[in-house]
Amino acid sequence: MIDHLHDRAGENDTTVVELYCDFPARHEQTTPNMLGAILKQLVNRGEIPEHVWRALKTAREGFGGRRLRLPNLLELLKTTIASLSRVFICIDALDEALPKLRLDLLRFLRDIAQGSPNTRLFLSGRDHIMSEIRKGVSSGIVVVPIIPTKGGIEAFLEMRLDSDTEPNAMDDDLRADIMRVTVEETSKT
Amino acid sequence: MRPLSNFTITSALPTESVPDTGDIMACNPLRSVEITNFINSSDSLNTNIVNITSGIDDEKQQILEWLSPLEPHQRHHSVRADRIDSVGNWFLETDEFRNWSGASGGDGYVPPVLFCYGDPGVGKTYLR
Repeated sequence: MIDHLHDRAGENDTTVVELYCDFPARHEQTTPNMLGAILKQLVNRGEIPEHVWRALKTAREGFGGRRLRLPNLLELLKTTIASLSRVFICIDALDEALPKLRLDLLRFLRDIAQGSPNTRLFLSGRDHIMSEIRKGVSSGIVVVPIIPTKGGIEAFLEMRLDSDTEPNAMDDDLRADIMRVTVEETSKT
Repeated sequence: MRPLSNFTITSALPTESVPDTGDIMACNPLRSVEITNFINSSDSLNTNIVNITSGIDDEKQQILEWLSPLEPHQRHHSVRADRIDSVGNWFLETDEFRNWSGASGGDGYVPPVLFCYGDPGVGKTYLR
């Protein structure tokens, strides 16, 4: 999906950025680091006008190399996004983020999207965070369930079986059985 | 200062129409000085452009590192390497995705947030 947006980005003057929430990396995935990573990608990929560039340089000099404080970071993020034509922010596995990070991201990104209507936010995660997301973004949300398709499961299995490190333990019958039973079982859930 | 060699001039001009470089120099010595000056000034101009560009790149790099220690694009590269192309294409064709991403071209209100949910391992990360 991100690549699809990237492919279209060249045609539409669009900037696409992504974040991956990862439970084992939760200690470094703080709110400033995550929002900073959004800004970092925007600066790196977008056509940043001179006034945003100057604001970034001034902020860096002002902080003497120390990290930005959250209010300044948010301000720079808003300025940068407002200067771009269209921004897609994609956050994967939001359910793996700590609750505070989830709430912060939802709240701050909602505010940014309200200020810059050309911002789109893509979120993915398990369904237990659905009500939290609905509350967090308050309005303007569409939800899509991701259900594995039979073709997708088969393609995935083929790929995994082809990369088997012990091919001698496999024969055509066993392979066919694995394919059949796995597809049947996953279809029941 | 790079000397203007005969080779430089002969290689830049078609030999059938210009018989000899020495003739150009002899016919119009002033022009040959102009060409020499132009080439020399181009050299120094190019050097300056390179210096300016690398200066901006250094500064940009420092700003990028300062903004966050995280490198999400590296994770994206590993996801892309593991992904199967055909899996998840159906999602790109849904009305929800097309509206949200602006692919359907409508002028009406578009909800800014799209949430895809599913159990672990269903392929949310690997949607093409």
